[in-house]
Amino acid sequence: MTPGVFLQHLRREARGSRGRLAFFIGCLTAGVASVVAVAGFSEGLDSGIRSEAKTLLAADLTVRGRRPIPADVEAEIDRITGAERTAVREMLTVVAAESSGASEAEASEPTQAPGRSLLVELKSVDGYYPFYGELELEPAVGLAELLDEQSAIVAPEVLTRLQLEVGSQVRIGGQSFTIAGVVEREPDRITGAMSLGPRVLVSAAGLERADLEQYGSRVNYRMLVRLPAEREVEIEGIVEAIGALLDEDGRHRVESFTDAQPSLRRGLRRVGSYLALAALLSLLIGGLGVAQTVRAWLAGRMDAIAVLKCLGYRPREILWLYLGQTALLGVVGSLFGVGLGVALQSVVARMLAGALPVEHLEMWQPWAWSRGLLLGVGVALLASLPPLIAAMKVPPIRVLRRDADPLPPSRWALAGAAAALLASVVGLAAWQADSLWIGALFTGGLVLVAIVLGLAAWALARLASRPRERSRLWLRQGLAALDRPGASTVAGIVALGLGVLALLAMFLVEQGLSGELERDLPRDAPTAFLIDIQRDQWPGVEALLRDQNADQIDSVPMVMARIAAIDGRQAGELREEIENRSEGPRPGGDRRQAWTLRREQRLTYLDELPEDNAVISGELWSRPEVAEVSVEEEFATELGVTLGSVISLDIQGVVMDLTVTSLRRVDWSSFGINFFLVVEPGVLEAAPQTRVAAARMPEGREQQVQDALAASFPNVTMIRTREVLQRVAKMLTQLALGVRLLGGLTVLAGLAILAGAVSAGSIRRGAEVALLKTLGMTRRQVMASFATEYALIGLVSGVIGTVGGAVLAYFVLTRGMEVTWEQPIGWLVASVVATVALAVVSGLAASVAALRKRPIETLRSVTG
Amino acid sequence: METMTNPCIAIRRLTHRLPSGGRLLTILDGIDLEIARGESVAILGPSGSGKSTLLAMMAGLDRPTQGEILLDGEPIHTLSEDCLAMLRRRKVGFVFQNFQLLTNQTARENILLPLELAGATDAGRRADELLDQVGLADRGHHYPVQLSGGEQQRVALARAFAPKPSILLADEPTGNLDGATGERILALLADLRQREGTTVVMVTHDVSVADLSDRAVHLRDGRIERDQIRSSSPRLSAVPDPERAAG
Repeated sequence: MTPGVFLQHLRREARGSRGRLAFFIGCLTAGVASVVAVAGFSEGLDSGIRSEAKTLLAADLTVRGRRPIPADVEAEIDRITGAERTAVREMLTVVAAESSGASEAEASEPTQAPGRSLLVELKSVDGYYPFYGELELEPAVGLAELLDEQSAIVAPEVLTRLQLEVGSQVRIGGQSFTIAGVVEREPDRITGAMSLGPRVLVSAAGLERADLEQYGSRVNYRMLVRLPAEREVEIEGIVEAIGALLDEDGRHRVESFTDAQPSLRRGLRRVGSYLALAALLSLLIGGLGVAQTVRAWLAGRMDAIAVLKCLGYRPREILWLYLGQTALLGVVGSLFGVGLGVALQSVVARMLAGALPVEHLEMWQPWAWSRGLLLGVGVALLASLPPLIAAMKVPPIRVLRRDADPLPPSRWALAGAAAALLASVVGLAAWQADSLWIGALFTGGLVLVAIVLGLAAWALARLASRPRERSRLWLRQGLAALDRPGASTVAGIVALGLGVLALLAMFLVEQGLSGELERDLPRDAPTAFLIDIQRDQWPGVEALLRDQNADQIDSVPMVMARIAAIDGRQAGELREEIENRSEGPRPGGDRRQAWTLRREQRLTYLDELPEDNAVISGELWSRPEVAEVSVEEEFATELGVTLGSVISLDIQGVVMDLTVTSLRRVDWSSFGINFFLVVEPGVLEAAPQTRVAAARMPEGREQQVQDALAASFPNVTMIRTREVLQRVAKMLTQLALGVRLLGGLTVLAGLAILAGAVSAGSIRRGAEVALLKTLGMTRRQVMASFATEYALIGLVSGVIGTVGGAVLAYFVLTRGMEVTWEQPIGWLVASVVATVALAVVSGLAASVAALRKRPIETLRSVTG
Repeated sequence: METMTNPCIAIRRLTHRLPSGGRLLTILDGIDLEIARGESVAILGPSGSGKSTLLAMMAGLDRPTQGEILLDGEPIHTLSEDCLAMLRRRKVGFVFQNFQLLTNQTARENILLPLELAGATDAGRRADELLDQVGLADRGHHYPVQLSGGEQQRVALARAFAPKPSILLADEPTGNLDGATGERILALLADLRQREGTTVVMVTHDVSVADLSDRAVHLRDGRIERDQIRSSSPRLSAVPDPERAAG
């Protein structure tokens, strides 16, 4: 047959099955639309969250340390074409109010009056700062306009505490600066760590003038880097390259925006896994819909195929004819799917503008579209392969004898098709999930469930075939229909069961994940921390907080100490050993360890651990004979201590030996007051200490609390964290909403496809309905008989699919996403009931037309 | 047994059994039959006598349990599905009781199909010519559902004769038609056969239809009960008036 003739036949053969082919296209459209929409949304969510994460860092990556950034690191950055960098220096210093008109000589001495000087976090920046996020200034002008060598921008707390206003003079490092404005919000201010004072911004030249950067001064050097967009994908390599340079230096750390806040990072990773799963499963459901449609379509073409064979069509030409049809329909359905996916994306993005971080969602995504197109056509061809191979075997003698058995299939053809099908499903799944292992596991699971479903369907058909002469007519008919020749009970149950599995798994994972994301929301987290509270001031401060309607008030004592020795080995000796190690097995870890040994540690003592702490080994305060300390697990690894280790702490000159008797895991995402080292009560009570407090203030009340504190407890510093909390909460809410939305869409599309798949199998029962009605069955009886049959199919598919879905969701949630599994018994029961209802309703809906017709119309068209 | 030289169809010791209810049912039982080129043969017999199965075997639509079938001297019972399809494409035309037109194709397209499969270069012209011959020149663009039973069977006849097959197999071609329409179809069949010189094998249980053939083979219980050869068949070889044949 020439290609021209083949194409002619292809075109002609497409006629007459419009309804069914429209459904075929519909299934594929829904499947591909969810793939494209999911790809688009994940891209949108990902880039939205990425941009928020960059905001938290104000850069793509930062290098920071206690020494100036090495020149070779700067050179490395400069080698990246298009990369920009800016230097930020931070230090703790005291600023003092300067009375107006004071002479230079008088002003050179900081004002000593209580409340007129303040410990601040000084930060020098230049005009490039920040690369991401917004620096909110009052007046709202550019940083470069406000900041010069002579000026400073301060946090509102500085004005309150020092009773100053914009235009006043402050002394920083002995030099006079004019307050040019107020900084309301900094993108990179506090990323979970506690601050020690309000912010004061000066320019780099201003910092030089203040001359604070002297030998021994504790300056934090930070280099912010913005990469050109096209190099962003290489960020891990760049971080690694810089890390390699820093390994030799040992005093700096490099961090990228991908190391953002822990609960967000976790959330992102989980959402990423969920989206991959949703796309994979929605494609599976689309494939099931297509397979069922093709099956039903070919069942309707059996007579035509037999005629074609009589006229001289070869079996392989039949295969090509229908495969060509399928491919054409696949392309059309996938194109519609791409269009619908893009439309969905844009409609939902518009509907949820502001709620989802998709304002900058890129609509032009040719990669996602071609992926959708390829997956759609691939799935259509794969799903059609088994019924197409069966179509090749339609016996031509069917033209004379309609009940003729199909020709025996060639074993090689069957084995080849099965192998091709399996390999392709593994390939498609691996492509979609971005992992060959997941692809293979997914396919293995599907095959296993399909076998269980097939066996159950076979058993059901056998059971149903047993004579039940005493039962009611409609029940007997319904049961018998499951075992009638040509009944697609097995295919129907396998398809519906797999569909239920996919839908339920998606639903349960979505429930678990969005629940977990919502649980991660720092709802009760403190919105401010209070530091430097003297012991005797706490009752007064607490009363003040209560007066201001603050709640979730928490306070613990805080003692500052340095690590003097571990297990008898002096910290200096340990540090030297680490620093001299030229090439350690874990240089990054060594660097951190050296830094930990050097820096000042904050300790507390508690009788009971806060709720966000869990002892993971050892027992809290279990050895009365020694002074005990409980260590956070990661910090213990950093220090190289374990249960039984002795940490010697130098507390203001007094060395104390503390034995590690428990290790703790801390949920840092709670934003509560937490310490790496917690000492048992009765050990540190006499040590010099202050208190640190956290409280949740009513929104907008912070300034009043700040003013009240400044009036009554001028030494107490309040650090606001609402801004960060709100940002983290917003991102988590957006993630949860995104997951709920996508989950909802894919589940809805899946339900529609499954309903269609059930209908596809039942739509050809017009002749049966007509015959039953001719023999005297009422419509009600016919419906009852069909309902019995569909309910049984729904029940078997529902039970097995539900169990399979729950198992899949359990593994995805607990192993893949590390989310707590909550017994979803209610949902499981609902899933089985819903499957039965879906099967009955869609099965009956497909038979409605036949039930309405007068029997003679159907019988005439069947025989004529 | 007397044998023909170069028979168009030769069937030897043809037996066909089918499993039914746990036992084997013999449909055809040792049939020996030879049909000469250009001969018209009617196969008669009551329901279940094996008429349609015998016809299916001749076209390679089904495979015998035993025995052999030769078309133009070529054994077909050993051919693969593909070769059988090619054989039907080249040599065999079909007419069925229930017409078996492709419902999603127009009358003209139904006729075009075997021509295109055979790679005919003048498929369109030949289809139009055949439509004209069966009196449906102006109905070529109609779908089967828009045609009467008689018209559908005329399209089926045109389709069967389109690639000029050497053998035409007809299974109760008038079974679904009223008497007058059936007669017109048979007249048309005779006319086309005359023009194309085709060997015709027709299954029927209607003796009056069989009377129009050169030969009548009577089957009973899968065996040839009687083989009647008429020296001068009066009608199937006669040329009826085409105007009168248009049903």
